[in-house]
Amino acid sequence: MKWIPKFNSSNSLRVIFVIAVFILLFLSSIAYKHNRDLNESSKLLMHTYEINLQLERLMSAVKDAETGQRGYIITRNARFLTPYIYSREKVNTSFITLKKLTADNPVQQKNLQKLFKLIIQRFVSFENCLKYSDPKTYDKRRLDNHMFGGRILMENIRFKVDEMNDLERSYLNKRLKIYDAEISLSPLFSISLFLVALSFILLAYRQISRDIKRLKMYNKKLLISSGLIAESEAIGKFSTWQWDLESNKIDYSDNQYRLLGYEPNAFVPEKETFLNFVHPDDKETVAKAMEGIISKKELPFVYYKILLQNREVRYFKSTGKLLTDQQGSKILLGINFDITDEHLLNIELQERNKELEKSNKELASFNHVASHDLQEPLRKIQTFISRVPEADKAVMSQSARDYISKIEVSAKRMRVLIDDLLLFSRTNTTKKEFIKSNLNELLENAEAELTEIIDEKKAVITTSKLPKLSVIPYQIEQLFINLIGNSLKYSQPDVFPQITIESHKVLSADYPDVLEQNIRKFHKITFTDNGMGFDPQFKETIFVLFQRLHSKTDYPGTGIGLAICKKIVENHKGHILADSTPGTGSTFTVFLPD
Amino acid sequence: MQKNALSILLADDDEDDRLFFKDAFEEIKIQTKVDFVHDGMQLMDHLMNPDNKLPDILFLDLNMPKKTGKECLIEIKKTEHLKNIIIAIYSTSSSEEDIEDTFIQGANIYIKKPSDFNTLKKIINEVVTVNWHYHTSGLNRDNFLLRLK
Repeated sequence: MKWIPKFNSSNSLRVIFVIAVFILLFLSSIAYKHNRDLNESSKLLMHTYEINLQLERLMSAVKDAETGQRGYIITRNARFLTPYIYSREKVNTSFITLKKLTADNPVQQKNLQKLFKLIIQRFVSFENCLKYSDPKTYDKRRLDNHMFGGRILMENIRFKVDEMNDLERSYLNKRLKIYDAEISLSPLFSISLFLVALSFILLAYRQISRDIKRLKMYNKKLLISSGLIAESEAIGKFSTWQWDLESNKIDYSDNQYRLLGYEPNAFVPEKETFLNFVHPDDKETVAKAMEGIISKKELPFVYYKILLQNREVRYFKSTGKLLTDQQGSKILLGINFDITDEHLLNIELQERNKELEKSNKELASFNHVASHDLQEPLRKIQTFISRVPEADKAVMSQSARDYISKIEVSAKRMRVLIDDLLLFSRTNTTKKEFIKSNLNELLENAEAELTEIIDEKKAVITTSKLPKLSVIPYQIEQLFINLIGNSLKYSQPDVFPQITIESHKVLSADYPDVLEQNIRKFHKITFTDNGMGFDPQFKETIFVLFQRLHSKTDYPGTGIGLAICKKIVENHKGHILADSTPGTGSTFTVFLPD
Repeated sequence: MQKNALSILLADDDEDDRLFFKDAFEEIKIQTKVDFVHDGMQLMDHLMNPDNKLPDILFLDLNMPKKTGKECLIEIKKTEHLKNIIIAIYSTSSSEEDIEDTFIQGANIYIKKPSDFNTLKKIINEVVTVNWHYHTSGLNRDNFLLRLK
């Protein structure tokens, strides 16, 4: 089953998918972390700005107090003191907030403590300034001192606030630097990872689309081939069935249902279903064969009959095999052939054969009758006539003598007829032993047989070199005797017979109408004479048994000689032809296979 | 009966043939003693009977009732004291098969029954006068079938 495609890519596809999924998980965890870092940084930033804001507020509150106090000292208007009074509250609120904001930072707490102390001192300085600026308690020197001290405190506060701000900023910067370092490393990394994951996915996609394409193609092929199988089953009158031994599921091909006289899928086949269709005579055989297939793994052809629903008997031939599929499960595969037509034809042929054998036997017994039973009385007639002494004949009447001689002639003719007939039937019935023979030798034998008549007619026979062929020697000899004898018999009066025998090699393809084309080369042997010839319209009929062109009285003969020639040549898978020009001569052409 | 008379036995079921045979022997004027049996069974009984003198030449027809000439031929050639009898097959048949078979089985000569009385006389004369000792030593397929010119 080499046409089944291998889809190994499914495993590599799985690996690619797992890798891609891991990369994506990794990437998303990095993204998550980045997100969290960013969040923290912005929180930190907010934190820093808030501290900064609160410190500025603190600072501005202190400044408001300072401005209010100056205004009051200069104008002595109590309205200028309102911001100063509020500023204390503002300072306290900011402190509480700042304390909360810097709760996790001991350094800033300490700074805040110091700042708080400075601000307290500043407010003490304010009180003193107010006190010594009051006209009631005015003291120019102390006021100046406190004003200057306040100036210095103010600067210290500013300094401290700046320090705290700087510290926060440096924290922020530090954090941002770390964050930046992290962030600056990862984009390249994540992008490359992303690209890898993307390429993996693309690769997988390509593989999948390729597999799908191949699957589609094989699917198409499969559809075509299963269609073809179904068609060929219908045309070839055979069907298949599968029996999965593991799942015990049996499948019939569509044609199996049809062969059993049903429409496809008309019933669900089970183990015993098929046996129900088998003719009662053959049930045992088929059941045994079915069992044997499991143990032997193969089923030699079994021949049996099927009984259809409509009582019609069909002849089946089946074979099967035990297969193991790719998944390792065992499947019994079977093929059934409906051989009814062949079977019936066979029976007819057998009957004809029997008839032929019978008629052959009859022919053989006729042969026997002819050779013995017919000859026996004839021989006695001839012998008894030969025993009538000449002296007795002399005293007979003339007519009696004539009758006796006519009986003699008729008996002789009958003998020739019987002998020729026997010869004819023997050319066909006796065993045909092919022996490599020199045709020149056989021709010599034939000429020796005819010496008497050759000498009598002063005939000249010219022979070219004849081939060595595998032939039935005595038959070829007989062929030569008959052909030469024929020429001598039908020679022209007053002309010495001349017979020329020639041989050539020819190709069967050159004589497509008369020669067997399966044999390539033939020897064409021609017998040409200067005899009286015959009308060419008879060139076919002269080979037919008992066909004579001349009257018995002119040329005694039985009309069997040339029929024997034809039979002999046919025995050798050859062919014989005759042609003639009346008054000039005849040519007999014999083709014998090389 | 003279001692040196040639002893001839003809096994033939045909009465006319036996008559021709007897007449022919009478006419060829050779000292012979001719006996007849009518079928194969009778022939074998005759040969097996120690009271009967064995023939010098046995003329054997092939087509006989009860036991055919071929069966007799095989039996004779198998029997130690009979196998040297000169056997001339004397049959109507001229089939190659019969000639071949009897030659292989050890017959000495094959005669096709002639259809002329004079030919019969010539044949009998030829067979009886031949030097059989010489003839058998040079026995071959070509001169097995007796042909008269």
